Amino acid sequence: MAYVATRGGERAIEQAERLYRAQTGEIGADRVREIEAALPALVDRVMGEASLYAPDLAALALAQAGGDLYEALLLLRAWRTTQPRLQIAEVAEPDQGFTHRRISAAFKDIPGGQILGPTLDYSHRLLATEVLEGTPFRPDPVEPAERRAPPRHTALADWQKAQGLVADRPRRPVDREDIPDLTREPLLFPAKRAHTLQSLARAETGGTLALGYSAMRGYGSAHPTVNELRLSEVEVTVRHPNGTPFSAGRVKTSQAEVVTTKGKDGLRLGFCATLGWNEVKVISGATLDLNSPGAPANSPVNEEFFLYHTEPVESSGFCIHFKLPHYVTFQSALDSLRGAKAEKRSAERDEAARQPETTS
Amino acid sequence: MFDRSTAPDPSEVLTILARAEPEAIRAEAEAILPALGDVEVLQSRTGLVMLPARDTVEGTEFHLGEVLVAEAHVRLSDGTEGYGMIVGRDLERAMAMALIDAALAAGVAAERLRGFVTRMGAAQADADRDTLRRVEATRVDMETF
Repeated sequence: MAYVATRGGERAIEQAERLYRAQTGEIGADRVREIEAALPALVDRVMGEASLYAPDLAALALAQAGGDLYEALLLLRAWRTTQPRLQIAEVAEPDQGFTHRRISAAFKDIPGGQILGPTLDYSHRLLATEVLEGTPFRPDPVEPAERRAPPRHTALADWQKAQGLVADRPRRPVDREDIPDLTREPLLFPAKRAHTLQSLARAETGGTLALGYSAMRGYGSAHPTVNELRLSEVEVTVRHPNGTPFSAGRVKTSQAEVVTTKGKDGLRLGFCATLGWNEVKVISGATLDLNSPGAPANSPVNEEFFLYHTEPVESSGFCIHFKLPHYVTFQSALDSLRGAKAEKRSAERDEAARQPETTS
Repeated sequence: MFDRSTAPDPSEVLTILARAEPEAIRAEAEAILPALGDVEVLQSRTGLVMLPARDTVEGTEFHLGEVLVAEAHVRLSDGTEGYGMIVGRDLERAMAMALIDAALAAGVAAERLRGFVTRMGAAQADADRDTLRRVEATRVDMETF
């Protein structure tokens, strides 16, 4: 692409950035702490899309970008490249997370039961305008049960495999150093399943929803039902230099399985997981995974289509690059257009000049 | 999660230290520091740990994303090494963990540190129990829902 260099605009550029930053003013540690504490859903969404679990840095990126999600992601993805990779943790098994929420919309009696966890699913959505009049919104505290919920639950898919409802494919264990990694290699098609799932894990939520929703509305072949939706905290199990495995701490993760009865041999499932708690993204992502086998090219449920178009930094970057000077390319297109018009006019004149001869 | 009567194994000790309350572990490390003698710091840095997960449909291992961690690695004058790694970017917490790990390996302040690990483990088990009691309060029976 041909751009022109911006010359003599240093002052204007400097003042433009100042004008932008004047909107948000001074950013202190208090503001960052407040964002992290007050907006966990947003912080989680940004961490998932940035593919970097660091709540304080996500809150800082949001503060610095003034809430522009794409700018925040760019800051985090760029910062991530300054850090060395120290280890690859042990595989987080889907049934080993410390579970806060686990529901199924397909089966009401599931082993371990239905645990709503932290959700507004069944709440009235009323804007608390009294807050603006000076009356704080004080949520009532949870009344804990006498007994505790089980910390872990079997994956519903494993239960269904045991029941013969879902095909149980033999596992091919991979050494963790050999798990395909999109941060080290390009996304090629047909994509490896590990690449598809990693790409969905870091996909942009709005884009994943838009394409997943198109499948839900009928542009896909399979209508999803939520087989299992789970919010957990998983252990980041690393190794001591002497080889002892231990957990360096827990991180929040979401995972969804969606199911359709349109399978050749029983039920068919789609899967998606991400860092942070983000239900819309994992349900949409699992719907895309469910619909992608055999999807026609150029359809929203074709993996190449949805993986390329939900990559947040590439898609937003491509969109906003159109704001940058394109004078040379546009001028060239304009010249071609003028040339074509001039040729057409000249051809018309020639035709008009010839016409008296042919009609006479 | 660690509410058991037997002493925690090495893996559980490290897990408890990594999750220990920041102020408590800093104070504990400071208290045992004089008994450790000269400490050589081999590493004190932040970095990333890639976290793989498994898909429940096909059992595929895939990368969920990277986790920011703080890492510390120390060596005592007798050659004993200590290591700490915690989620987040608190280098002091990672260093405190590495110092306590080195002390445990060298048998320095053993009694005191065993007590510390037991206390921290119990506090963490209590916190998990409280969380799970609040989670249990959200259990629904879909028959009567």
